[in-house]
Amino acid sequence: MALWLFGGRTREVVVNRRRVHVAGFGAITPLGDTWADSIEPLARGRSAVKAVEHFDVASFPCTVAASVQLRFDHTGDRRLALAQHAAREAWAMARVDAPVDRIGVFIGAESGRASLATILALTRAAGGGKTFDHGVFGVQARSLAAHIDAAAVSPAAVASALAREIRAQGPVQTLSIACASGAAAIVEATRAIRLGECDVALCGGVGADVDPLMLVGFGRLGALSARGVSCPFDVHRDGFVVGEGAAMVVLSSNPSPLGIQISGVARSLDAYHLTKPDPQGDGAARAMQHALRDAGRDVVDYVQAHGTSTPLNDEVEAKAIRRVLGARWQDTYVSSVKGAVGHWIAGAGAVGFLCAAHAVQCGSLFPTANLHQPDPECELRHVLGSALAGDVCSALVNAFAFGGANACLVVERVN
Amino acid sequence: MGALARPVPIVGAAAVSAYGLEWRGLSRIVRSNRCAPVASTELGATHPGTPSFEVQALARATSVAEKRARLLMSRSAVLAAMATSAVLGDAGWSEPLEDVGFYLGVGASGGSLDQLTSMLAASVENHRLSLTRFGNQGLLACNPLFAFQLMNNFTLCHSAILHGTQGPNAAFFSRGTGTLIALLEAVEAILDGECDRALAGGADSSVHAVTWAELVRDGWAERGLVPGEGAALLALARPATSERAHGFLDYAAVAACRTRPLLQALADAQPELGCASIDAVVLAPWGPPARAALVAFTDAALPGRPVVDVERALGESLAASPALAWAVALDLMATEGLDRVLILSHGLDGDLGVVTIRSGGA
Repeated sequence: MALWLFGGRTREVVVNRRRVHVAGFGAITPLGDTWADSIEPLARGRSAVKAVEHFDVASFPCTVAASVQLRFDHTGDRRLALAQHAAREAWAMARVDAPVDRIGVFIGAESGRASLATILALTRAAGGGKTFDHGVFGVQARSLAAHIDAAAVSPAAVASALAREIRAQGPVQTLSIACASGAAAIVEATRAIRLGECDVALCGGVGADVDPLMLVGFGRLGALSARGVSCPFDVHRDGFVVGEGAAMVVLSSNPSPLGIQISGVARSLDAYHLTKPDPQGDGAARAMQHALRDAGRDVVDYVQAHGTSTPLNDEVEAKAIRRVLGARWQDTYVSSVKGAVGHWIAGAGAVGFLCAAHAVQCGSLFPTANLHQPDPECELRHVLGSALAGDVCSALVNAFAFGGANACLVVERVN
Repeated sequence: MGALARPVPIVGAAAVSAYGLEWRGLSRIVRSNRCAPVASTELGATHPGTPSFEVQALARATSVAEKRARLLMSRSAVLAAMATSAVLGDAGWSEPLEDVGFYLGVGASGGSLDQLTSMLAASVENHRLSLTRFGNQGLLACNPLFAFQLMNNFTLCHSAILHGTQGPNAAFFSRGTGTLIALLEAVEAILDGECDRALAGGADSSVHAVTWAELVRDGWAERGLVPGEGAALLALARPATSERAHGFLDYAAVAACRTRPLLQALADAQPELGCASIDAVVLAPWGPPARAALVAFTDAALPGRPVVDVERALGESLAASPALAWAVALDLMATEGLDRVLILSHGLDGDLGVVTIRSGGA
């Protein structure tokens, strides 16, 4: 029974779980400046993937991405600009009221990237030309460091800034587990509310990886689509497309008018390979099984899949979903939002969660954009074309990361 | 008294530090006043003559797979892998390890400057960065996973892949407090039944040219901070375990200092600590201001108790510092026959970490 001391008060962990209610959503996506604006294009099966225009990608292995269209005034940390925008929408919708020391912030984020100007400064500090002069770099390191401020590019900078903005004085955590970060942050927030560490949590994830380093880095690994199409589970899929955005959720120990709750959470590690999933899908299946068990369920009505559009991930995930759901897989709809908005890396699981919560709240299942010819190896009950209407009581959210970390959540209607 | 209703057994420990790969004996070294930093090798080119507590010799890889894997690993990831191997051995845990949880405080993994050198050298044209050259040749010139070294979970995942831990997990970005959160998460996962055994700790290095340049810029070098690095892990088991325990975790907390001074946070925590039963204090402060506050608290609340300052002896190892302090505390209990040790840590991310470890049964 661990203790948390916030605001000078001591609180024992509550053994009997409290319910965790969803009180608000917010997002900025390549398809809309708010979550509310993004719903209609997502339901129509639109894809935001297009050619990258804000820097030269002519020689890059992949030349497309799904970028947020909104222009921000400041030129600082893009992660923070995206996250703040989404958080404000979620916070305004939630209208929660709690003492500041009972409000926590849990964010999935990776390191920010030094700007291109900083990279240029690095080359100049190194003397330019064909060699990197450590001595020159050392002399200039002091001034150079001003451009690489840890307070601006550290993973924790986003959570700290959001906590300041909403005056949260409870637990503030930054989860950095690559593509599962956003989902893992919601897992952590759920656990914190269940255990009585806070009563309200702002949680979610942000990804801002449409930049040269990540496009070339992922591309050189062969992870990106050479065709420039994000089409999860399609027979023609050939890699993922980088996207960007932020998705935030407000959770509360008190019931909310939205009438949905998080009932199951789990995490696991593949412990298999840095960039490939375990071909048997054991780690993914274990996370799904534990989340369902945590929710007291054997099945769900809908799965928002990780579905990256890479050949191996989608096949392995489909196999794992079939294994976990057993014969009921044929009754369970599955889709992936990455066909529409690309892969947000640290933000991916959070936007997946919003899609699942929307399905439970509104009975509308977003389709997998660009999925025209399902791969027989990825046999599932796919949502094709445009959104399906249905009575969705429960949904499972999958997020699987480079490095092998997996996080799953179950969201369901409050009876 | 104990804040944990059921003290959690610590059945294994590991510490990788400037003094080697053993946690046993570390408290004597730390208390010997013979600890002195030496000129850094890692910072030799960029910050010549900088004294540091650097891990001088990385342990040899124990398998071909590990040797190959290390070529793709950041220094923090190598340190974490060494500590993972050691803690599993110390706990006597062998495969299968699929149920083992793993919670780690990690820093920005710190891609190597040699890799950066190669990437930039291949990308510069007429003294300017050329995106065309970057796309064609930049990343081809370095470790293909260079971009992913920015992903902090790789410090955790490399170790998991090498050793097969597959249970619940999380990597918390940390300049101190995240490592405490990793410990709390591990404890909660065990007490909540999510797993029966878990590893918790931290791995990081401030002996990195860019990290150290930032700390210098922010005035920490002038204030006497010495860069360090390391990794430390505790192996935790269910309270009912029959495994032999080095000690028992009976209090673990994070106290927010964002809204109140550190000394006030310490005073607020004091009634919960059971100060009368504390035999010694291990400190992991972030630099002199935090050290002064922690020492002032121990002087007032725990007069006469021996105080061991891990940062002074091992340098500032960022996410690793609190975990190294836990390992030192365990050794202190074993070598001095102490019953209960308090570990106080305070990191750049602002909050106070409070942990107590006791000997004896649950």
